[in-house]
Amino acid sequence: MIKLENVTKTYSHEVTALQNANFDIAKGEFVFLVGPSGSGKSTMLRLMNRQERPEKGAVWVAGRNINDMPDAKVPHLRRNIGNIFQDYKLLANKTVFENVAFALEVIGRPRHVIRQQVPAVLDLVGLGGKQERFPHQLSGGEQQRVSIARAFVNRPLILLADEPTGNLDPATGEGIMRLLDRINKTGTTVVMATHDQRIVNMMRKRVIQFDRGVIVRDQARGVYE
Amino acid sequence: MISRIRYTFREMWASLSRNLTLTVAAIITSAVSLLMVGGSFLIQRAFDNQLKLWTGGVEMIVYVKHGADDSQVQLIEAALLSQKSVVAGATYCDETCSLDVAKTLFATDPSALEQLTPQIPSFFKVKPVDQGSSEVLRSLKTEFSALPNVTDVRTPDDAVATLSRLKNIIGVRILVVSVVLLFASALLIWNTIRTAMFARRREIEVMKLVGATNWFIRLPFMLEGLLQGIAGAGFASAVLLLANSNWTSGVSGFPINSGLRAFVVTVGYPWVVCFGLVVLGALVGAIGSATAASRFLDV
Repeated sequence: MIKLENVTKTYSHEVTALQNANFDIAKGEFVFLVGPSGSGKSTMLRLMNRQERPEKGAVWVAGRNINDMPDAKVPHLRRNIGNIFQDYKLLANKTVFENVAFALEVIGRPRHVIRQQVPAVLDLVGLGGKQERFPHQLSGGEQQRVSIARAFVNRPLILLADEPTGNLDPATGEGIMRLLDRINKTGTTVVMATHDQRIVNMMRKRVIQFDRGVIVRDQARGVYE
Repeated sequence: MISRIRYTFREMWASLSRNLTLTVAAIITSAVSLLMVGGSFLIQRAFDNQLKLWTGGVEMIVYVKHGADDSQVQLIEAALLSQKSVVAGATYCDETCSLDVAKTLFATDPSALEQLTPQIPSFFKVKPVDQGSSEVLRSLKTEFSALPNVTDVRTPDDAVATLSRLKNIIGVRILVVSVVLLFASALLIWNTIRTAMFARRREIEVMKLVGATNWFIRLPFMLEGLLQGIAGAGFASAVLLLANSNWTSGVSGFPINSGLRAFVVTVGYPWVVCFGLVVLGALVGAIGSATAASRFLDV
């Protein structure tokens, strides 16, 4: 599903964010990208949805080298990739329903599809009764669930999560991880950047470890070291 | 498709109302600058009308000495018509015809007519090719004055020169100021769109990440700028038509012999200018907003 070949990414020709990275993620896998801050985890996620381009190497997503992809095709690539963030990135002036519906609306889904899919995905993430609430009326965990619902409502092939439990207490974080695990079991590939040791050790999924832009470990059913 | 159109217009309206102060400022600036552009066109046209009235198609009168015989008159006519590049035509009015004209002109002044009658000159009405050029008139006057048996050459050259100069001075200055103001209004629209995009940067970021196309994101902002330009042109057109109507009725009250009653613009031309202003306003709005929407999409 995702393949990196000798990927090197530098910022301003001085800071090397990634150096000669190689790995292959199969369809339906759940992968943790771990490492300290500044080790290259977030850059890796940004390369996967074409927010960034590498200086060297190739990034393959769903069989296409996305570095060579024309800019006009990038939106279509992103419709197959859901994004989850540490700070949720919810729109404060929209309700829970509207936040999730927004993701469908801006890619031109008709109204009847939105009316059908949004309540279904909100039920999936456990927010069935909170459709009309605004983000500030929700807890951090609930806000992250809205963010997950928005990322998943279009049933993407891949979910990219950047520190999704970073702002949450351990119990709420575990709830979010259970939700991501459920989504993964539907066949969606999940790639999650984190430095939450407890979560990685609890889930026992594949772990790719970064240190100063270099992959130092790639372990199936790994733990945080 | 319908949901996209609905979304585009809803977002455009939301953005307009969110940045109400800047939107109003952009519309006012566009309106003022477009009003000046439109005003400069109307003023130019009014000057042209006035010039036409003053010159009346007869740019100069070449007076022939009283008692000149046919061969002498033919010599003058041949000399006038030989200047084909500058003279469009010449009509001869003999002494009988000249006396009839004098009778009409001096109908209220019999003593002046009595003095004039014994020495009444015949004359040629000469129509130059370039009726508005005072330089042409002046050079023709000098040339024709030197012809044998020509006693005098009268042109409305001084008045035409003054009016032409006034037309150029006012026209050029208004046009320069209005172009500067148009640029300012495009910049203001640009800035309004930039501010609107900055205010909605999170929304735009989310839109990009969920796969909205750049055009889908840009379109509401571009329509917003377009609407600002058209609204400005609408206001400018309304004010222009009102001002023109007031001016026309004011000028019609001038005395007939004031010679300024043609200093107006009528018969559809103001509507043509207003249509031009709407097109120009739309263009300024579209350029300002499209530039901003393209430049600030990476928020």
